[in-house]
Amino acid sequence: MARAKAEQQQPTTGMTLIVLVGLSIVFLLFMAFLNVVKSGNLLSETNLLFAALIFYAGAGALYLGFGVTGTESYVKFASLATWLGLIANTAAVAHRWYEAGHPPFASVYEMLLSFVWTLAVLTLVAEKKYGVKVIGTVTMPVAIVGVVLMQLLRTDVHPLVPALQSTWLHVHVTLAMLAYAACALSFALAMMFLIQDNLKTETFLAVTSASTLAIYASVVLTRFEKWGGLSLAAWNPEAKAEVFLSKGVRLFVTVPDLGWLMTLTLLVVASPLVFYGLARWKNNESFLTLANRAVFLSILLQVMTLVMFVVRARDSRYPSLDADGLFPTSLAASPFILSGLVGGVFISLLYLLLLWRRPDLGRLLPSADNLDRITYKTISLAFPLLTLMIAAGAYWANQTWGSYWSWDPKETWAAITWLVYALYLHMRVTRGWRGRRAAYFAIIGFAVVMFTFFGVTYLLPGLHAYA
Amino acid sequence: MAVHLRALAHKTWRTVASIQTGVVLLILVVILSAAGTIVLQRPVTEPDEMQSAYSPQALRILDAGGLTDVFHAWWFLGLMLLVSLCIVAASVDRFPNSWRYFSRPYKYPDESFRRALHPQKSLAIADEESGLVAAQRALHALGYKPERVVREDHFSIFSERSRISELAVYIVHASLLLIFFGTVVDGLWGWRGTLNLNEGQTSNIVELRDGTTRTLPFAIRCDAAGQENYKDGTPKKWWSRLAVVEDGRDVQKKEIVVNDPLLYSGVRFYQSSYGPNGKVDKLVLVATPSNGSGEKQEIGLALNDTVPLDADTTVRFAEFFPDYAVRDGQVYRKSNQLENPAAHLAVTSKSAGQDFDVWFPPMDEVADNSKAPYQFQATDLKLGHFTGLQVSHEPGQWGVWSGVVLLGVGLSFVFYVVHIRFWAVPVRDPKTGKYSLWIGGSANRNRDAFEQRFNDLVALMEKELKPVSRTSPSEQVVTVAGN
Repeated sequence: MARAKAEQQQPTTGMTLIVLVGLSIVFLLFMAFLNVVKSGNLLSETNLLFAALIFYAGAGALYLGFGVTGTESYVKFASLATWLGLIANTAAVAHRWYEAGHPPFASVYEMLLSFVWTLAVLTLVAEKKYGVKVIGTVTMPVAIVGVVLMQLLRTDVHPLVPALQSTWLHVHVTLAMLAYAACALSFALAMMFLIQDNLKTETFLAVTSASTLAIYASVVLTRFEKWGGLSLAAWNPEAKAEVFLSKGVRLFVTVPDLGWLMTLTLLVVASPLVFYGLARWKNNESFLTLANRAVFLSILLQVMTLVMFVVRARDSRYPSLDADGLFPTSLAASPFILSGLVGGVFISLLYLLLLWRRPDLGRLLPSADNLDRITYKTISLAFPLLTLMIAAGAYWANQTWGSYWSWDPKETWAAITWLVYALYLHMRVTRGWRGRRAAYFAIIGFAVVMFTFFGVTYLLPGLHAYA
Repeated sequence: MAVHLRALAHKTWRTVASIQTGVVLLILVVILSAAGTIVLQRPVTEPDEMQSAYSPQALRILDAGGLTDVFHAWWFLGLMLLVSLCIVAASVDRFPNSWRYFSRPYKYPDESFRRALHPQKSLAIADEESGLVAAQRALHALGYKPERVVREDHFSIFSERSRISELAVYIVHASLLLIFFGTVVDGLWGWRGTLNLNEGQTSNIVELRDGTTRTLPFAIRCDAAGQENYKDGTPKKWWSRLAVVEDGRDVQKKEIVVNDPLLYSGVRFYQSSYGPNGKVDKLVLVATPSNGSGEKQEIGLALNDTVPLDADTTVRFAEFFPDYAVRDGQVYRKSNQLENPAAHLAVTSKSAGQDFDVWFPPMDEVADNSKAPYQFQATDLKLGHFTGLQVSHEPGQWGVWSGVVLLGVGLSFVFYVVHIRFWAVPVRDPKTGKYSLWIGGSANRNRDAFEQRFNDLVALMEKELKPVSRTSPSEQVVTVAGN
């Protein structure tokens, strides 16, 4: 009797999530619809992006549900949601293209738009063609972060400045987006390989803790102010731009108490790493149990920090240390802190998924050998694309600036990315690097790609000022 | 001693050609170029910005280490040379082997090769001939060209596709060297500079990056230049109409825009900026006699133009200040930016034998405009513009671009063209006297997909073998291909 009940329950719990996700999608769409009716503007880019966000979020939840429970029917609905999100995303791209009169590659916002689109396409390809069904658990959250970032970085259509009026722009950026999306995919596949390759769960624990620690440490170290404040860039809502005191010097406002909260979270996200170290040192497994509890606690605290951050930093006015009076700030002024916080929560959640459902994941994923091979295949797709992207950029630079190579930071980092993947290929072909070492290389490669894409734009200024 | 030296040379060669050296060098390049993007670089940074960013001590250390100009430092160049050397050595070291592989295809697998090869398969056959024919048909059916290999006492089948793939990696390495070669040629014989021209001006002197100048054997004249804006005021287009003047004749004319340069005898002229040159092209005025007796007249004046207003009076456009300041009754030029322009007119009356100063805008502490015999009203100020051209001579470009094309070709061969080989050898078991067909295959990359293909081939051969055993041998056409 009890068994019969349990068997009955299996499909019901399966449906619950689908129904829940479906209902929340419908609810959110309904709310959005009310908004649309109020504003009377149905097919605007914001609405399309919002729809894409809702669908991607639904897809992400379903993929995650699939990862946790292994219920096959989730995947069907997840890919349906991805398809719908992709349609909305495509419409947003088309809208932007039509409105601007040029393909959407001219600003960070437009590039993200194209990047998320490519990522969704590749997710569907990986799922349908290679049968890597759980890939959505990794790529969808990346897409969600991308769309959220877009909402913040959203810019009005800027006409192209003279240097960007070239066919080579489109060639260059299309190649870049394709290459970067392939790199993102190889990263996700390499992570899955590590799971299939029986990398110890506690190693993932250490990495998870270290990466979240890195996020909070970089925020606290650079932004902690006296008396527990957190300094954030001021934002001019009319100009939709940061406020500059003088050339290159931004105005910062101090949000009180947020610094303490960040420091507290920093300590808590660091604790699993400490317990892990203790477990290794004392050779005592019970510390690992503690570490896992600490991860759970850290997620709660991270979510709280995220909520507090969003509530406090969202369109309010705060004093500044550099000037008198109150100045507005906005989430748009701190896109990196926000995506860091979201990313931290996401990384920790993925770890929990691994911790609880490792045997199931192992069953769901393709074999380690296959994953290794597909990773190599995506990189052998990404590498020629990277090469062509750099070549097209060089040719275009030669047309515009009169020099095909000027060691501008973006160029240099693109070359570094290329070199890292070239190293990977050499190691693989001549030294026979397979498996774990190759996977680590793929992960490093993607980290360099992300730095080239975002880091260089915001940290290392140069000729490539557009994006 | 000589042996010793040769051993040393051999060892050095092995070290340079080894993959470890290559990897270490590439990692060094990665680290140093990353440093070059993080430390501010002298060529693209203003000196005072450098000074505010680093303490004098730190700056001295950075400068001494060449870290403020990584990409032009001798050690970076040396590193790139070492990388090239390493590529050359590694390629030279491995090439003969690959060439042998390429030029003398291995058509008949000997026994030890047959034992070690994966994937392989053995099928039972009735006799030698039926096995060979089945293998040929199956290969044909899959689109391969089988070749009958004749040995002293027996036949076998060999088939291959895309042998060139074995050499693809050398194409890639050669293309990288070609690119490096192009950039070195540019570094040695190329130059870059700027040339600013006012509309109508002709010049052949280019200001180079290092502050020196270079005289071209021909001159460039700017006939016109302009800017078009979008509705929101951001620039949409900059253009310049240029003419190349050689020996006093116009030899070439072109309107250049950003992204579309003018090329003349290896020198390229790029549109890079456009703006007011701080000079005035024409000042348009309405002059009214002060005594109210004459007609209003409109006059246009270029700088230093003198125009008669009536028989007695002339007006001269004496001075122009793009950005002026007044101190102690004197007008000074504050800057060359067109911020706050002022114009000075000199009105001369012969009958009065006197000069009157007129200023725009009126400046009471400098001169009283109302004393002049005419009252002036400035209606328009047409400003002169300059066009900023980037000039570059890159004789190594062809090397770079042909290297890039070759790189693309090489990479697509490396990743997507697979050298596939199949062998089929009828083997007689010395004990039982029965024949079997040994089938083997190899692919230089993408082996998992190849295995599938190999299995397809074997399945096809199995199918071919069944009907073949029923047909009579006389129907078969035997083609003998030499080795």
